[in-house]
Amino acid sequence: MSTKGTKIPDWLAVPFAGITPAPSQEKGQDLFPTGNWRSIRPVYRDKLPPCNNACGTNEKIQGYLDLVKRGKYLDAYALIKEDMPFPSVTGRVCYHPCEQACNRGKYDEAISIRAVERFLGDLGQALKHDVVKPGKPNGKKVAVIGSGPAGHSAAYQLARLGYKVTILEKSPKAGGLNRGGIPDWVLPPYVLDREIQRLEELGIAIETDCEVGKDVTWDDLKKDYDACVLAIGLTEPNSVRAEGEDKKGVLYGLPFLRDIGMGTSKVKVGPRVAVIGGGNTAIDCAREALRQGAVEVTMITVEANPQEMPASPEDLHDMVEEGVDLWHGRAMTAVLGNGKVESLQLHPARFSGAINASPININREATPEQFAVDNVIIAVGQRAALGWLPDEFKTARGTIKIDKFGRVGDTNFFAAGDVVQLGMGQPLMVVNAVGDGKRVAFNLDKVMRGEPLQPRTIPVDVIMDLDRMNMTYFPHFPRVQQAMLNPNSRRKTQEEVIQSFSEEQAVEEAGRCFSCGTCNACDNCYLVCPEPCIARPERSNGLYKILVNYCKGCRVCIEECPTGCLEGVPELDFDTGVVRMDTAFAITPGLHGRQAEELVRLAERPAKNI
Amino acid sequence: MSYTELTVWTRGIIMDKEGRDIVNSISASARIEGKYAQAMENYVDNPDRTNAPTRKYCRVSDQVLENELTYENEKPNVVVLVEGTMVKGWDYMRGMPPGGTLVINTHYTPDYMIRFVPGAERLAQLVCVDAARLAHHKWLYYRLGELGLDRLSTEGAAERNKLVAPDIAAPLIAAVVKTTGIVKMETITPMIANKNAFEMALKELHILPLNPVAV
Repeated sequence: MSTKGTKIPDWLAVPFAGITPAPSQEKGQDLFPTGNWRSIRPVYRDKLPPCNNACGTNEKIQGYLDLVKRGKYLDAYALIKEDMPFPSVTGRVCYHPCEQACNRGKYDEAISIRAVERFLGDLGQALKHDVVKPGKPNGKKVAVIGSGPAGHSAAYQLARLGYKVTILEKSPKAGGLNRGGIPDWVLPPYVLDREIQRLEELGIAIETDCEVGKDVTWDDLKKDYDACVLAIGLTEPNSVRAEGEDKKGVLYGLPFLRDIGMGTSKVKVGPRVAVIGGGNTAIDCAREALRQGAVEVTMITVEANPQEMPASPEDLHDMVEEGVDLWHGRAMTAVLGNGKVESLQLHPARFSGAINASPININREATPEQFAVDNVIIAVGQRAALGWLPDEFKTARGTIKIDKFGRVGDTNFFAAGDVVQLGMGQPLMVVNAVGDGKRVAFNLDKVMRGEPLQPRTIPVDVIMDLDRMNMTYFPHFPRVQQAMLNPNSRRKTQEEVIQSFSEEQAVEEAGRCFSCGTCNACDNCYLVCPEPCIARPERSNGLYKILVNYCKGCRVCIEECPTGCLEGVPELDFDTGVVRMDTAFAITPGLHGRQAEELVRLAERPAKNI
Repeated sequence: MSYTELTVWTRGIIMDKEGRDIVNSISASARIEGKYAQAMENYVDNPDRTNAPTRKYCRVSDQVLENELTYENEKPNVVVLVEGTMVKGWDYMRGMPPGGTLVINTHYTPDYMIRFVPGAERLAQLVCVDAARLAHHKWLYYRLGELGLDRLSTEGAAERNKLVAPDIAAPLIAAVVKTTGIVKMETITPMIANKNAFEMALKELHILPLNPVAV
């Protein structure tokens, strides 16, 4: 039966599927909004990548890797500079906790974050003017004691906040541990000089040869400055309390490196050198001893094997490659010789509890070993020199007593870096000191402005782990390796051992980043949405928009989001976004009832009208 | 004369059978009690799509139901939302006479849910029951991957489980029967497969009394 010529009553003239405008067309979604099919709404919520969380100063690592990937090197450099004053330094010396935390490490190999950071740092060094500018002057004067990593970071952040900062440094050259604790073949002096120059460009005055307690006192600091950051570090070497430690030829780790770094060293090491200690400083001392002319270098540690040593595994590997011998499970009990070191007396030893955090048990009943050497370098940790500090602000473990915000008592003095972190459970590393200096600078600023201080907390669920991401989008890809000098040639020179990335290498390595938990504008949600209900003006992070009137909550975008940035949130958690409609096809109220009445009255109507 | 209209709003495919169980069991109980009852599904809502709105209707009367052609309840006295988010989506209160009842499957309280209800002044009571929890419902909200094969595209027709109200329908039926008295408890209880959820729901209803209407 043909329906041709049949008059369709008005109430039946509803838009059928075939003539329904597409939702992307104007007004299309108003006519057929399927948003109320949804019980879960996709929401873009950036989480904290594990690298950012692990970093001592919480650099926005994912952010700058993403920018490098897109070739926006200057933006990446500016982003890194928010948290890190000297990426060129940490790009060389950092023990990269970020790479240990990297989710990619559980998949194939961790991103070489440090190498990319170094690439950006070197780029920043080459710039004629730095991207960072000093803040608007607020008329307040702050002294920063010490120009090591913590002091450098605090001074940098305070200058950005508008303070007039003066750095007081006791050595003839600024740089602190960066200069005096890190050998030239890891961190060439010209790199550090350039970073110190950047500080001066920010308007920071640096007074060298000015030692607190000698040239300037606690009361002077109180009188002359509105506030003060104590970042004095650990300058005095620990002794091993062995007999005859005062003999000629006994050297201490940090002063040994510091004198070489400052260019004031008068030490000539003999052909046979022993290094006591198993940490990063001991490794640097052993490698430096080779470069100072030693032929045989032996490292003597209490730890029973290389894995237990509290040192960076890469540095340990490089040291062994250069030919340093390792002796484990021994402690030096005496330095033997007639006025000068001739040999060492070693006894078997082990830690009584946790490695590097408990007393050492020395088995003095065992037969001692004699070990002939010309020099011994003792590198078993450092302590602070706090003679000038009022006693009320000292702790039992020889550090400065602070509250959780880094403040010393109720004074306007703050302390940061190794001098407060010793014994706090955190490794005493450059990046941790930088982070401490940064946080203390922000806390100081808040105190100066009379704002309340708030402790830093990160909810655990915000840190993204690998299980919450869609790994089907990430092919396995090997890590780009940094070139290194040949072990045989490098052991006698001061040339930098690890070489930097080229631009191509940096981009390739940054391209391996998963962007854990963070939108990186991959466009995947936009492409997989079965309905056109993800809109974006251009392909850019943060500009994706879900059309909630139309999204059916099918979860495809959530399941397919590679980085896990998209989350499904129960629709009832939102007060907004109420889409009320009748059902899909009955768009006017009571339509079916009226249809039924028509049908009931059908029999009363004359046949020709039907 | 007593005449009650019950409309169940449910979601296509994944909760289709739950809605059908509610109207079928209530109308069957009513007939056992000697009343006249109709139960029907609405196919104009395009129920063969996951999550699409679907309505199930039931009419219970002590007199013969003459209206056999209208497959839509114009004046529902009782409305059941099988999935809580539906409270935001439709004007399910349309046509409800004063003194109605709204039953929602949700873990939220009635105090929270009432903000989404249009025309709440017509309600005598708002009832919330956490049916998904009471029935140990596993697949409803965030676990689409665990959807069984018998839940896909068959609207329950190919379901291996032939029981009436084995899942979230049981607590919802308990909520409807207890708060409205549309049928007697003793006639409907034997039909329900998930007795445990049914009994627990009778104890764990959240009822918000609103505007009672004198009969």
